[in-house]
Amino acid sequence: MTTQGSLTGRERVNRMFARQDQDRIPRHESFWPETITRWQEEGLSGEQSDVLDLLESDFGQVTWMWPSPFRGQGRTIQQDASTRVVRDEHGKLARYWKNKSGTPEHLGFDCDSREKWEQVYKPALLNTGLQVDVHAAKRAFRRARELGQWAYVAGVESFEQTRTMMGDEITLMGMMEYPEWIRDVSVTCTDVMLRNLDAIVAEGVHFDGLWTYGDMAYNHATMCSPATYRELIWPDHKRLAMWAHAHNMKFIYHTDGDINGVMDLYVEAGFDCIQPLEAKANMDIRTLCPKYGQQLAMFGNCNVMKYATNDRAVIEEEIRAKLEAGKKTRGYAYHSDHSVPPQVSWETYQFIIDLVKRYGKY
Amino acid sequence: MAELQELTQVIIKGNRAEAKRLTQAAIDAQVPARQVLDALVAGMDEVGRRFQRNEVFVPEMLIASRAMKEAMALLEPMLVKAGIKPEYIAVIGAVQGDLHDIGKNLVAMMWRGANFQVVDLGTNVPAEKFIAAVKEHRAQVVGLSSLLTTTMPAMQATVKAIKDAGLGSLKVVVGGAPITQDFAKEIGADGFSPDAAGAVDLVRKLLAA
Ligand code: B12
Repeated sequence: MTTQGSLTGRERVNRMFARQDQDRIPRHESFWPETITRWQEEGLSGEQSDVLDLLESDFGQVTWMWPSPFRGQGRTIQQDASTRVVRDEHGKLARYWKNKSGTPEHLGFDCDSREKWEQVYKPALLNTGLQVDVHAAKRAFRRARELGQWAYVAGVESFEQTRTMMGDEITLMGMMEYPEWIRDVSVTCTDVMLRNLDAIVAEGVHFDGLWTYGDMAYNHATMCSPATYRELIWPDHKRLAMWAHAHNMKFIYHTDGDINGVMDLYVEAGFDCIQPLEAKANMDIRTLCPKYGQQLAMFGNCNVMKYATNDRAVIEEEIRAKLEAGKKTRGYAYHSDHSVPPQVSWETYQFIIDLVKRYGKY
Repeated sequence: MAELQELTQVIIKGNRAEAKRLTQAAIDAQVPARQVLDALVAGMDEVGRRFQRNEVFVPEMLIASRAMKEAMALLEPMLVKAGIKPEYIAVIGAVQGDLHDIGKNLVAMMWRGANFQVVDLGTNVPAEKFIAAVKEHRAQVVGLSSLLTTTMPAMQATVKAIKDAGLGSLKVVVGGAPITQDFAKEIGADGFSPDAAGAVDLVRKLLAA
């Protein structure tokens, strides 16, 4: 479990953030659900949490937050003999078959205009009350403390929330044509998030870090320009980071893709850590650590495309090289560069765990 | 002509109101439809290049493409009258199991911006649907998009099904985040492009050959 060796997981991660000596690098991992299913067929007895135990993960999630305007109120808004159109709790519209299974047809987003945002979605978001189960969070927090884990709250930040609610095209075009609108959405989503975070803390859940999710990049670049990000979304990212610091917590930011163009903005906003550093999108801790390693802890970057080859030599070289680069700053934690896909066999992943343990010692 | 150069510029900026105004003005002034079309295409072409160099990003591409689309709607009747047809007919879609569509949409936009007729089949498209659409629209090129390592096998199977269907000189091009030139070659695709602007050049090169 997490208290292995001389340090607890919590101590280890805190020391990583302080760039102090650790016995080994902290570890965590994410998986596709299909991966776990495959591994169960190949001999894994247990669930994802059991794999994390084998890895001796140092991180414990207290709760997950994805505020939505119609919490728990996905509903059918139209139907005929064979299909029904459902608006989910975020406002996404999809057509489902009544009498057969199959992928639903994606129809679009209900929140497709500024008027609708102002008249329906914004009031709904602001009026839905708390979006977290504070009692469950409390229990999870207690458990994380018992296990000596570094306890974090995970949540979706405003850019991702906006895209979930309005879709990529409306959001991205809105950034150009109605920047005040997108700014308003981002501010509102962040207000709601902070309100939820305050409610958790008010219950005595003094977790160690806030880990926010928002994919703002893809293989070649950020979705919007760094200047647009700076103007419309960054102030809210900074607010989240400042909230974390005001509560003596660290701020971890998750994004896929090539974020080389905005690393300086992350530093300026006071982020503490970036995850998962997608290797195929030109992210490489061998160059990032020397440049940003003092300001930003690096979390991840082990290339799942290499894991998917199931080729031991290829995988060993990847893990050796990345962990070696990360350890130089003492501000590095192990994670793959996103999530382990189902091409990776259980045998291969057990080998990966061994490698992470072997090369992760200080 | 200064107005046409301006038209190119407003497409680059994604200013749809101006794009429509200038297109209508050119139509009213009886500027040959081909020249107006060329000005619009030049605008999208430039946006694609800037996107390739990370000088503009997805939002700028989206608004430029919409400005182009709205201007084209005005120009359409003139193009028909002048007997100007789309350069090529293309079918595009994300392969079965894949729901990612932003990149595929950008490729479709760049193709339309280059005056191709594009039939967009959306996401999660089975091989048979690609084949049926190619036949129905007499397409010369079909584009397959895959963003997941788990849908790369579906891409491979789709390429094979299309090739086995014996559709004459039809070209199959592929793309998406995990796709590489090597993979494209391995699965028997005719071409690959890492980005949307390159997808236009790719089709022109393949079909001119
Ligand atoms: C946005 C996104 C999503 C959104 C998609 C929204 C939408 N409407 O498309 C959502 C949240 C729905 C999603 C879902 C999932 N995703 Co996702 N997603 C992404 C992300 C962050 C960006 C993709 C994107 O939009 N790029 C922007 C466009 C402009 O770029 P592009 O698609 O690469 O397209 C360009 C080129 O590739 C090329 N191109 C594209 N298509 C074509 C076609 C032709 C013919 C040609 C010539 C060129 C070409 O031109 C385009 C423009 O220049 C990527 C990260 C990444 N690095 O790509 C992950 C990513 C693709 N997703 C991933 C995963 C794992 C998933 C999920 C399984 C789980 C999850 N995260 O929820 C599901 C699967 C859903 C499904 N069945 O498809 C992984 C895939 C890993 C792997 N092993 O394959 C990635 C790589 C993230 C990662 N770091 O690992 N995702």
